[in-house]
Amino acid sequence: MKDSQYLDVKLKLRDTESIVLTPGYLIGCILNSLESLFGEIGGKTSLDIVKFSAAERRLILRVPQEFVERARIAVTLIGHYQEVPCHFQVLNASKNQLDFDSKNDENVVKL
Amino acid sequence: MFGNISEGRRYIAVQIVPYTPTQTLRLNDHSLAKCLLQNVEKYYGVYGLGIIEHGFRVKYCNERTKIAIIRCLHRGQRFVSSMLPLITLIGDVRAKFRTLYIGATIIQCNKFIIKHQKQFLDRVMGQVESAKERQDLFKRVMELDMDR
Repeated sequence: MKDSQYLDVKLKLRDTESIVLTPGYLIGCILNSLESLFGEIGGKTSLDIVKFSAAERRLILRVPQEFVERARIAVTLIGHYQEVPCHFQVLNASKNQLDFDSKNDENVVKL
Repeated sequence: MFGNISEGRRYIAVQIVPYTPTQTLRLNDHSLAKCLLQNVEKYYGVYGLGIIEHGFRVKYCNERTKIAIIRCLHRGQRFVSSMLPLITLIGDVRAKFRTLYIGATIIQCNKFIIKHQKQFLDRVMGQVESAKERQDLFKRVMELDMDR
């Protein structure tokens, strides 16, 4: 998709047992954080989960280009997932589609 | 300490228009400021709130003429002026804001308000019959005590 970036995000939890990890809950969590940070006007965008792995607790997010900065801020500042303390680590960001094992990708933006 | 450093400020003169014309507003500058900040948080989030909170103040709020002056910093002015039309509830009264004027100094704002109120008087004075009522109306409309 043109004019969008892909973020490879890993969720790190303090307690992994007591949560339900689904793409829907995750996207809701990110959208909630976007809305509380940037409000109804500044925080509305279309986020897509391109790939999701519950076992690795990793996901590939597709974000519109003009929203990458805000999305990354919102993802970074999430402190709780289903009331369990957590943080999100952005492993990679790229204009090309990312995959979980794309270590030799030339277009990956180094962080 | 930093009194001499002038930061670009903007003064927004607004008129509060209640939904039912006879309703009293029961509004002071604190409750107005609270309402405005809550709405900035709603529409622009904590990030927007953080930007405008510094330097934000309701400088003047007249319940009788329903005119207020809001001060904000230059960089936060866009946030404030863009969410004013979206507000439909001020305190617990159904009302809306009419932005009258945006100026860089409070004196400019005062001048505008006086001009605006004079225009209002010109329209209304003709309908008032007794001289006593006219004087009362004049006093009521032109009151502009800036003690804050």
